[in-house]
Amino acid sequence: MIPHEPENGDDDLDRMAASEDLDVTGDAAEARARRRLEQGSVLRDALDGLREELRSRLPSNEHGVDWMALYESLRRRFGSTGMRSLPAEIDEFGLDRAALENTRPWLDVLFDRWWRVEVSGASELPQGRPCLFVANHSGLLPWDGLMVCHALARAHLGPETPRFLVEDWLLRLPFAQSWLTSLGGVRACRENAERLLRTRRSVVAFPEGAKGATKVFRQRYRVQRFGRGGVVRTAIAARVPLVPVAVVGAEEAHPLLFKVEAAARSLGLPFVPVTPTFPWLGPLGLLPLPSKWWIGFGEPLRTDELDPEAADDEILVWRLNEQLRAAVQSRLDEGLHERSSVWS
Amino acid sequence: MTHGAHSPGCVAITGVRSFLGQRLAERLATRGRGLRVLGIDLRRPWRLERRFPFERVDLTDPAANARLAELFVRERVEAVVHTAFRRDPTPDVEADHELETIGTLQLLHACAAAKISRLVIASSTMLYGPYPDNPQYLSEAHPLRGHSEAHCIANRVEMEQLVADWSRKRPDAEVTVLRSAWIMGPSFWDQVVRHFSGSFVATVLGYDPLLQFVHEEDCLAAYEQAVLDGHSGVYNVVAPEALPLSMLLRLAGKTALPAPAPLLYRLQDLASRARTGDPPAAFYDYLRWLWLADGERGWNAFGEPIYSTREAWISFVSSRRMRQYR
Repeated sequence: MIPHEPENGDDDLDRMAASEDLDVTGDAAEARARRRLEQGSVLRDALDGLREELRSRLPSNEHGVDWMALYESLRRRFGSTGMRSLPAEIDEFGLDRAALENTRPWLDVLFDRWWRVEVSGASELPQGRPCLFVANHSGLLPWDGLMVCHALARAHLGPETPRFLVEDWLLRLPFAQSWLTSLGGVRACRENAERLLRTRRSVVAFPEGAKGATKVFRQRYRVQRFGRGGVVRTAIAARVPLVPVAVVGAEEAHPLLFKVEAAARSLGLPFVPVTPTFPWLGPLGLLPLPSKWWIGFGEPLRTDELDPEAADDEILVWRLNEQLRAAVQSRLDEGLHERSSVWS
Repeated sequence: MTHGAHSPGCVAITGVRSFLGQRLAERLATRGRGLRVLGIDLRRPWRLERRFPFERVDLTDPAANARLAELFVRERVEAVVHTAFRRDPTPDVEADHELETIGTLQLLHACAAAKISRLVIASSTMLYGPYPDNPQYLSEAHPLRGHSEAHCIANRVEMEQLVADWSRKRPDAEVTVLRSAWIMGPSFWDQVVRHFSGSFVATVLGYDPLLQFVHEEDCLAAYEQAVLDGHSGVYNVVAPEALPLSMLLRLAGKTALPAPAPLLYRLQDLASRARTGDPPAAFYDYLRWLWLADGERGWNAFGEPIYSTREAWISFVSSRRMRQYR
């Protein structure tokens, strides 16, 4: 969970060893302690050497998987149970920056190798100011939110990590709550979005909500109604631009064939999803399929130039809401048109 | 927020034997400035008996309202602080309701009769209720949803409604409702503190909510400000910063004992039925879902707290640690 900086610890030990060299008293216990320290540092040097050696022998890092980074992240997460240090900062929404940084190599693998995500239009995004990103939603698990946030983090738009909004029922599940929160997930509600934008953090919202996540495969890439215009109202009130985002490929990661509603209540789920792999393969079926993804950012809707009072103008809000939905749909159609196959 | 023109000449504190009541009385009594304190409770407080007069009034007595009104008029009381609540819920559901809801009603009647112009009510952010669909930070305007399983919370929610109705009818009276988060500090003790005081702390498996506390001194400072200056309205009294439960335990060097929710709730239910002094099973919902309160309004009115959540927690933990060696 916590990154423990091994370098610092080593430095301290080395410094201790060095200072002991200076005032040698001849005391047996001290000498023994020093020898132990030296042996420790020899062992550490050997391990570091081995690590370097492995790094050079492993497949090249340019467009492959960075195996060492993955190993390091696992080691940081699980390998230091004896001396866990404390996370440096946890922000008011529960984002654990250290945990996020530690998960980055895994997100990279998902992004580059598993889904081979292509990003378009990220260079035209407004720099250094919060935006409200609005994307189509698909798949029961919030992979699309994580990937859009990862794409934004890679585009280096500003100092703040963008957050994605998560539906309620996911946050009710054990482990999902703490895991999603530490990676920047925030419960989807208007107060939270407003607070995030007020503190100058970008937000990725999925206004289709459950309607989008739970649509069956036959309805794929049909953008559903955008709630009741909450995103538009929030963007106008916070004076931030609305950016339509299209995510192509996420529908095929968890293609939902049927919804079985029987016995779902007792599990605390809205329904039991049936995909080609779930529940047939058990927990393995939760693994998303490696479809080819494309994330397209669209032309921002200049809601930041409107008067904040306009948030109360229902006609305008609904018109903008529909305009936004159309923008997401058309960007989505562009992506679908360009795509030759689901898998490549 | 409205600032009173003057600080009151005489302050009556109900529940002066409780932690908040007694510490507030001490603070106000040592302040001087011609401020008199009148303590009201069922039993005498342990210390400081000479510093302020004490009156024994039973708020559950049907004639308590007349008695209090007479007392307020006789002593020329100008402000009333109401802290006569159960520190912890007792198994006696009826008696809790009599004291917390009906007792407050009696006090409100007395205040109306004696034309009290300033009223400070002790409340808690627990009344918002722990729910997965709470926003990250609850503002004072958020409805109090309470908890259906915890009668002590339901009583307090009803109590707050009575207070809100009362103050709506009397716009000239300054009514302050202070909703404090869980109080932590060297000398405060209740079921929550008890739960966190051991070296092993039971938690709900798979849930790691953000928690916030308030240090006892910051909480008392807010009460004192409310009594002296008069800020009418509802305020959350919380410390800045919210930390995950797992991190708090690690900071304190305590070990979490995670148990699956159904098992934990059943065990806790048994424990609280057996009157071991454990909180009711509903308590674990507060260690499972979000119920953070937005303290902005309170900080603007009463000033920024000295202790953050982390510091309040450390203050509590270190005082416990020292206690082992006594």
